[in-house]
Amino acid sequence: MWVIEYRELIRILTISDLKVKYQSSVLGFAWSLLNPLLMMLVLYVVFSNVFKASQDHFALYLLIGIVSWRFMSNGTTSAMTVIVGKSSLVTKIFIPRQVLVLSSVLSSFISSVLEFLVLIPFLLILGAGLSPYVLFFLPIHAIFFLIVYGVSLILAALYVYYRDLNQIWDVLIQIGFFLSPIVYPLTTVPQEYMNYYMLNPVTIIIQMHRDVLLYHMLPSLSDIAISVFAGLAIIFLGSAVFRRFERRFAEEL
Amino acid sequence: MQYGFLHDDLDANGDGNIYAIIADDVSKKYRIPKEKKITVYENLMALVRGGAYAYEEFLALNRVSFSVKHGETFGIIGPNGCGKSTLLKLLAGVLYPDGGRVNINGRIAPFLELGVGFQPELTAKDNVYLYGAIMGLTRRNVDQRYDEIMDFSELKRFENVKLRSFSSGMYVRLAFATAIQTNPDIMLVDEVLSVGDESFQMKCGQKIDEIRKAGKTILLVSHALDTVQSLCSRCMLMDKGKMVVVGKTEDVLTEYARARQKSK
Repeated sequence: MWVIEYRELIRILTISDLKVKYQSSVLGFAWSLLNPLLMMLVLYVVFSNVFKASQDHFALYLLIGIVSWRFMSNGTTSAMTVIVGKSSLVTKIFIPRQVLVLSSVLSSFISSVLEFLVLIPFLLILGAGLSPYVLFFLPIHAIFFLIVYGVSLILAALYVYYRDLNQIWDVLIQIGFFLSPIVYPLTTVPQEYMNYYMLNPVTIIIQMHRDVLLYHMLPSLSDIAISVFAGLAIIFLGSAVFRRFERRFAEEL
Repeated sequence: MQYGFLHDDLDANGDGNIYAIIADDVSKKYRIPKEKKITVYENLMALVRGGAYAYEEFLALNRVSFSVKHGETFGIIGPNGCGKSTLLKLLAGVLYPDGGRVNINGRIAPFLELGVGFQPELTAKDNVYLYGAIMGLTRRNVDQRYDEIMDFSELKRFENVKLRSFSSGMYVRLAFATAIQTNPDIMLVDEVLSVGDESFQMKCGQKIDEIRKAGKTILLVSHALDTVQSLCSRCMLMDKGKMVVVGKTEDVLTEYARARQKSK
């Protein structure tokens, strides 16, 4: 299995990706926290009058949704270009190319976990408190990882052939932001669209994060089962697409 | 394509020899699009206009078959554009064959270009570990060989210097020393032996000779016919993607000389 055989390379690439991300700006890690906080403030000001009545701790509700979604958007956008960006590792030497995508998503995963760690003091300050269910955060985020990695495999493979995919994906990510329950409560979604709405697997993930961080409860077993199933299905599809397109990577780069 | 660790049973030709490389009827077609389309937009427009998949095919390798025994030094010669580099990339696993099969029996180190994956922003030391990882070595493996790499490249003093401040000679020395220490079973060498100054070249030559004598398999692609003659016991002559002749090096070189005479 390539994950085990190339674990050292995955480790090195992940760490150097994190180093580059946080060393390139002077404020480093602080910037990556400022972004979701500012976004939360703006959305809070805009939407608090609309949804505040129906939602306790609206600021935290927003913040958890935003930070969750950032893993989806940052993870996929940076992993998409990784095959093209590290083309010498594709055209000059053989390594399993999934290694590149995996280490990019892993680096985004670690960033995301750090952002959530900073979120915990906010839970205390803003009066939501903490419960032992917080421990379930990491398993849920690991399920999220499956989804993001699967999607990234597809995007990274397609980007080699279609170099304007990043612009298209930017738009789709924007749409996805508003098609997930980030700024509004799930209850505002009209009942007749609910079945379609729930097709977005990130919806369940965000809800589960709120369950354990904000509502102090266990996520439902069906939510866990559905999201694990969705994650595995996306990875399976992503790997199939990636293997299919991988054959001509070296010629296209 | 199959990769595997050194099994003692790859005896596909059924003659009792252990083979390191078997290429069986290998073909490679490059697609040359009539019009290069690299965006979704361009592809959609081409669909509307028709002729979306118009490309010409260029047969870079045409049903090439050969095998290299374990422990053998095998040469590939031929004029520019005969498919040598394509063949090497296929063996390295970078390109996929469109027809036929490639069997590699053992850990392979492609010396297609030195210093692949080196990052200028990392120190020499970090780059050695990075390259080892690219070759699939564990951290402990690199630990064991680290001192030897630094001795061979004569760069011990500069191990904590970032690679971007290295001269090109130092860069190549580090790259060669690291690559050679990954202890491959099979080495694919594409005319990279001319690195560094004369004394370092000599050292490289000696090292390759040492590896050859240690019973490793070497596949050498070169224009330098005297190098091929001195190192390789057998070799293959290629022309226009086809295999012309495989055999003892002297015979193949004679054949090559005659073919060149004729074409003049």
